[in-house]
Amino acid sequence: MTDVTVSNLPSAPLWAFEIWSNPDAVAARFAAATGFALPKMGTSGGNDALRLIRYEPTVWLAEGDATPLPSILDTDGALTAIGGGVTRVLLSGGGWRRLLMEGGVFDAECPTFAAGSSAATIIDHVNIRLHVLNEDACLAYVPLSYAEGIIHFWQEAATALD
Amino acid sequence: MTGPSRPSTDQGISFTFDGKHYHARKGDTLAAALLANGIGLVGRSFKYHRPRGIMTAGIEEPNALVTVGEAGRAEPNTRATDVFVYDGLVAKSQNRWPSLSFDLGALFGLAAPVFSAGFYYKTFFGSAKRWMFYEYFIRKAAGLGNAPRDVDPDRFSQRAAFCDVLVVGAGPAGIAAALEATEAGKRVILVEQDSIMGASLIRDPQALDSLWVEECAERIRAAGGHILTRTTASGYWEHNLVTLSQRLAEPGQVPSRGVAQRLWHVRANEVILATGSIERPMAFAHNDRPGIMLSQAARTYARRFGVLPGKRVVIATNNDDAYQTALALKASGAQIVAILDARPAPAGQAYGLPVCNDAIPFSTEGNRHCLKSVTAKVGGISKSWDADLLAVSGGFTPVIHLHMQSGGTLKWNDAAQAFVPDRSLQNVKTVGGAASPEPTFTLTPISPPKKSFIDFQNDVTLADVDLAWAEGYRSVEHLKRYTTLGMATDQGKTSNMAALSRLAEKQGVAIPEAGLTTFRPPYTPVTMGLLAGAGAKDAGAHKRRLALYDVHAAKNPIWQPLGYWFRPRAYPMAGESLAEAAMREARSVRTAVGMTDVSTLAKFEVSGPDGVTLLETACATSVGKLAVGRGRYTFMLREDGFVFDDGTVWRLDENRYLLTSSTGGADRMATHLSYVRNYLHPELRVSVVNVQEHHAGIAIAGPKAKSVLAKLIGEEPPRHMSTVAAKIADVAVLVLAASYSGERAFEIYVDARNAEPVWAHCETTVVAEGGCLYGLEAMEFLRIEKGHLVVGGEIDGRMSPQDLALDKMLNKAGGFIGAAGLSRPALSEVGRRQLVGLEAIEGSIPEGSMLVTADGQSPEGHVSASAFRIVNGGSIALGQLAGGFLRGGEELIATSPTRGQRARVRVVPPHFYDSAGERYRD
Repeated sequence: MTDVTVSNLPSAPLWAFEIWSNPDAVAARFAAATGFALPKMGTSGGNDALRLIRYEPTVWLAEGDATPLPSILDTDGALTAIGGGVTRVLLSGGGWRRLLMEGGVFDAECPTFAAGSSAATIIDHVNIRLHVLNEDACLAYVPLSYAEGIIHFWQEAATALD
Repeated sequence: MTGPSRPSTDQGISFTFDGKHYHARKGDTLAAALLANGIGLVGRSFKYHRPRGIMTAGIEEPNALVTVGEAGRAEPNTRATDVFVYDGLVAKSQNRWPSLSFDLGALFGLAAPVFSAGFYYKTFFGSAKRWMFYEYFIRKAAGLGNAPRDVDPDRFSQRAAFCDVLVVGAGPAGIAAALEATEAGKRVILVEQDSIMGASLIRDPQALDSLWVEECAERIRAAGGHILTRTTASGYWEHNLVTLSQRLAEPGQVPSRGVAQRLWHVRANEVILATGSIERPMAFAHNDRPGIMLSQAARTYARRFGVLPGKRVVIATNNDDAYQTALALKASGAQIVAILDARPAPAGQAYGLPVCNDAIPFSTEGNRHCLKSVTAKVGGISKSWDADLLAVSGGFTPVIHLHMQSGGTLKWNDAAQAFVPDRSLQNVKTVGGAASPEPTFTLTPISPPKKSFIDFQNDVTLADVDLAWAEGYRSVEHLKRYTTLGMATDQGKTSNMAALSRLAEKQGVAIPEAGLTTFRPPYTPVTMGLLAGAGAKDAGAHKRRLALYDVHAAKNPIWQPLGYWFRPRAYPMAGESLAEAAMREARSVRTAVGMTDVSTLAKFEVSGPDGVTLLETACATSVGKLAVGRGRYTFMLREDGFVFDDGTVWRLDENRYLLTSSTGGADRMATHLSYVRNYLHPELRVSVVNVQEHHAGIAIAGPKAKSVLAKLIGEEPPRHMSTVAAKIADVAVLVLAASYSGERAFEIYVDARNAEPVWAHCETTVVAEGGCLYGLEAMEFLRIEKGHLVVGGEIDGRMSPQDLALDKMLNKAGGFIGAAGLSRPALSEVGRRQLVGLEAIEGSIPEGSMLVTADGQSPEGHVSASAFRIVNGGSIALGQLAGGFLRGGEELIATSPTRGQRARVRVVPPHFYDSAGERYRD
């Protein structure tokens, strides 16, 4: 029996962080202000206060304290609140990779999808963003309207993994 | 069958067939267990209800179709050769009445000449009355097993998998390929439709036995390979995507962890097909009796299951493989009465068996349950033998379905008289018996064609092929459809080559020139539940819940599916019908105040100095002159100039806008905006973020809406089409003054996480003012009376801005998507359908009805939405009418013949209420 637990996390401040001009300058300002680089496509980066996941070429999902972000962006981008429409779901235990294959189209079992990796994918027809916390945990960002359905789907699927 | 054909020891499993209890061994297929219990008659044929037994030992079985399981778990048309017996299995025969042994349907057989090829099509000849007579009987007779009426209590899973190499078939070639790839460090999936690996090695373990199979399996698993048994590769699609159907429980069995079957979507870098081949039957008179079986099947029952399917055995063959059957059956205690080898001497003479060369089966005799004798032509002379088993081998057909589904081509192998894989378009190769079938001897049937069956499942005989030919059917595809050959659950696995051979003979060409029908997925039948997956019980999709779902649910509303969303349709009070509740709610909005949940509206936040450019490209109206804090109605066009959505655009700040559009078109609008942002204008300094779910939305509408909102926000509400940031219940909200109902109205947007206290505060205030909640039904009444459009109704993808009287709002500067399309002459033609209002002169206007000038005339338009005047009563509607703008006052008939409804209507302007818009302005 494959082990995985599905937990609905408390809501968090979430933002869409988009750059439309001078990306190198923004990246430099970002690194200087936050102490870490803007993550590349398919990855995430951050610290306890702020984490960013890049999910489109010019857009990052920012989680946490976004106070420094407007000044980093200046006139080169925009920060838009999206947290009201997103539910965070923690998949913990060694079976999270197998669970994500249920109803999925993304190779969550690929060894290169490791801690710090991220993905935007479809699971059981629902658009979901994934962030690998470590080998035993993955965070899923689920649209609020689908959250109850997909959590039920995962909890049910978790009982029949092999 | 003459009786049990194996010892009754170790039979710990009990099952029933047609209500009678039997015992089976672990690992038995239902077919093996039935044979072991002496049951020869298992089913009735589809058309003539001829008695049929077990012909094969695999998925190609055309005869032994049974219903397995009970209630919601019942699975009809299951091949008895493809279900493994479990304790408590319940199997029933099909297509018979009153019983399998005594089936009145067999009378159809007496009328066989009437039911020859194409009889169904011929029932359409003559007057329609004749078909009305036939129809009842044809529908009653059609089909095999009955679909269960109960809900299937089990779950179905769909899972993705990725690998370097997918190997289909765990016979010797497949196992070797999987082992090599796995030990080379590749991610490997090996699938086998049987419950155990080995395939031909299970039947013929001479060189490589089960120990070799087990050792290989252990090495594959140890190297990280994944082995799936009871799993069939059912389809091969583009980009090396292969679907697998896996049985986690046998048909009708209670699954151990709730999931009965799993559909795998496997994306592989390389696919290796080791799918083997299927033995062919022979065509001769009465070749479909119980007791006539494929040679390898007889050998499988003897060696794998310890079941001797007959004691006096005749074997008919055109190849060497059948001699292995003779030896196996002889070793199991059967008497080999004769071997009819179609080949000339000395073929087969070395085995020391009673071989007749140049011998072709001609006919058989027997009863409903068993075979009694076999007649053959030996060197042209008739000879007969008493026998209870006739094992036939007409050669081998490689299983090339998946190769062909992948787009691969085939070539003709003359020695094997079979098609084999040729070129591959995807990264796939075929190995083993499917690539190199055994040579065989060309065999031409000599029996009268009438009872010489080639497609056992559809009761198609050689005579049917001949008739189709005589009636002009030359193409193999036409032949298939005319005779039904190759259809149903076996998809011609045992019949295709025999039919092709006969067709080629008629055409006077070689078989490859006669053509080949297309192999389409699925390779073997799959259940509908498997295709539906986890959504099998929920229309295949998750229900989208409003942020305030629980708040609404507590009021027990009537729910309305809207796309994937579920929204309250009405909030009935005690004893109220939907219509009564909706009308009460609508009246409350017209006379006092009402509130409703509008959270599902599409919402996009557009930020950046180039936001105006983006919006004026995506929308067909101007935005640039919009002052901060103001909003306006807008609509969007497709490239061809037709309206596809509408909404509002609000300037929240110097460089920040909120665009709203329809609920149902939300995903389409996201794509539209993405197209503008990322494809047409990637250079723009703009951000477009979908905030549909971030904001919950509450609409308050009615003559008292302004005073209600003033109480809620503690300040003067914004004027119509203006916006203000405020607080309600200490929660920050954005208020937009916009009306869909025709009354003074406001939309309140709030972070969805904080929506509940805002809703509660609004509701308390609204109720205190004598108002109530209203749902979608009341909203529909209100907007129809006001003449507002709805996407999917009036905006149906065929209407231009001119047709909807929106053209005055078009951005005169152009530059928007669809501007070029609008210049097409067709959009200016006289007689285009245009938006009109309709009021009933007599009767109620049926929604969706046609608009005609008189009964019997062609439709000139249709009713897109209908309702009743909310305060004054009377049936009204919106519609689309040819040249409608110039037809005011004209009387028409709105008719819906399929529902038997009609009404006399008068064409009026499409605004039935406050056409000047005075009610929503202060």
